[in-house]
Amino acid sequence: MARGSIIKKFYNAGPLILLYYLCISEVDTNLEKIFEIFTLNFQIILIYFWVLKRPEILANGHIFIAGLVNDVVMGFPLGISSLSYLIIIFVGTYVRNKSVNTTIASDWFTFFMAMLFSNLLFFSLLNNFSDLSFSFSKIGYNMFFTFFMFPIFWLLFNLYQITFIGNRDA
Amino acid sequence: MSVSRDDFGIAFRSALLKRGGAQKFSVLSLIFLALLIFFLDVYGTKFTKPVRGLINDIVYRVTFLVSAPTRFVPEVSKDLSSFFNVREENKRLKIEIEKLKSLELNVEFLTDENKNLQKILETEYFNKNLSNIILAKVLVDKNSPFLKSIIINKGTSSGVLKGMPVTKNNYLVGRVVETNYLSSRVLLLNDLNSRIPVTLAQGAQAILSGSGLSNPVLEYLPEDYNLIEDVNVFASGKDGIFNSGTPIGITNENGGVDLFVDPNQLSFVTVNLNLTKKGDF
Repeated sequence: MARGSIIKKFYNAGPLILLYYLCISEVDTNLEKIFEIFTLNFQIILIYFWVLKRPEILANGHIFIAGLVNDVVMGFPLGISSLSYLIIIFVGTYVRNKSVNTTIASDWFTFFMAMLFSNLLFFSLLNNFSDLSFSFSKIGYNMFFTFFMFPIFWLLFNLYQITFIGNRDA
Repeated sequence: MSVSRDDFGIAFRSALLKRGGAQKFSVLSLIFLALLIFFLDVYGTKFTKPVRGLINDIVYRVTFLVSAPTRFVPEVSKDLSSFFNVREENKRLKIEIEKLKSLELNVEFLTDENKNLQKILETEYFNKNLSNIILAKVLVDKNSPFLKSIIINKGTSSGVLKGMPVTKNNYLVGRVVETNYLSSRVLLLNDLNSRIPVTLAQGAQAILSGSGLSNPVLEYLPEDYNLIEDVNVFASGKDGIFNSGTPIGITNENGGVDLFVDPNQLSFVTVNLNLTKKGDF
């Protein structure tokens, strides 16, 4: 019984471990070496999906700390990624509060809104309060591929949820 | 209508303020905290700079440790493939040695000639102060779409200062843009924020600008200058940061510059500590 509980806890912690690992390690979802314009913000897909489906799995405080770690590793001003992730949480929680049952299509559409608000805040803060310059075409590609890849990860995360955590949707 | 507005208000407030269960903090409180940290970091005070440096040093070390498995797998596969190709490689190397032997005499002659010409021009030979060059290991090489940089394991404790040039095998790689006590961040030449004054082999002056892609581009070339392929690009040293004559890359057919050092394949680099005084940068 106790062993089963530990394994269940480990499965439940899976998305959080993945989020921390992606933020702190060298592993990235930026595949520019293979395809020059392919970049992806995997963290926001991960956060949005789990905030929408199982908010108790990704606690706000952990997401906030993961954002700080991401800023240190990437060299951004501290707090900027946290803010961006918190916007994702806010939109995700709002959508969850307003909707009874969600589909992949509705999640995809609302994810676009979340990503738009989050990136708008991220890049406007970066543009106005730091010396870093960035290419708008890269931001466009990043947003496009993040949006485009969302359904694929939605299916994978959903499969993980059904297989290891258990579906709790109404 | 009023019911719908109430609904919106309740959902909005709930999303911002809701706590309980796994959520120990509300989104709103964390947003305020993130904004506070952001502005403290941007408008750094005497207190925030060392704290940020300490956090950086700790996180970079943890990143290095955590990323060890991801570096281990490609290294093992590389070792295995080189093991199986050892016979062919041996044959290839023997041919290469023969070629190099024939070139050696020529190189010796050119090196002497180069040194003599540099003496005449009263310029510094870029290897003159070898004692002021330190070797650094690349701790983190996270490929970001927006910032091309690496983290090295030498910081202010080893004398590294912001702005110092970083090279590999005497080829320019980038410059230090952030220093902590035990680590530093190096901005690579292909980053969008990188600007370096350069000289082309034909004598023309230009600015090498990072494009955010793998190849930087040449800007502010002389008017009517016809850029051709295979022209060597060197640091001009006009900024007083980079040693004049440090090789950078070679022009390609698209008007960009193919760097001599692949910015994605760095494991060890050297930092040139040659600075006249600390306030230089």
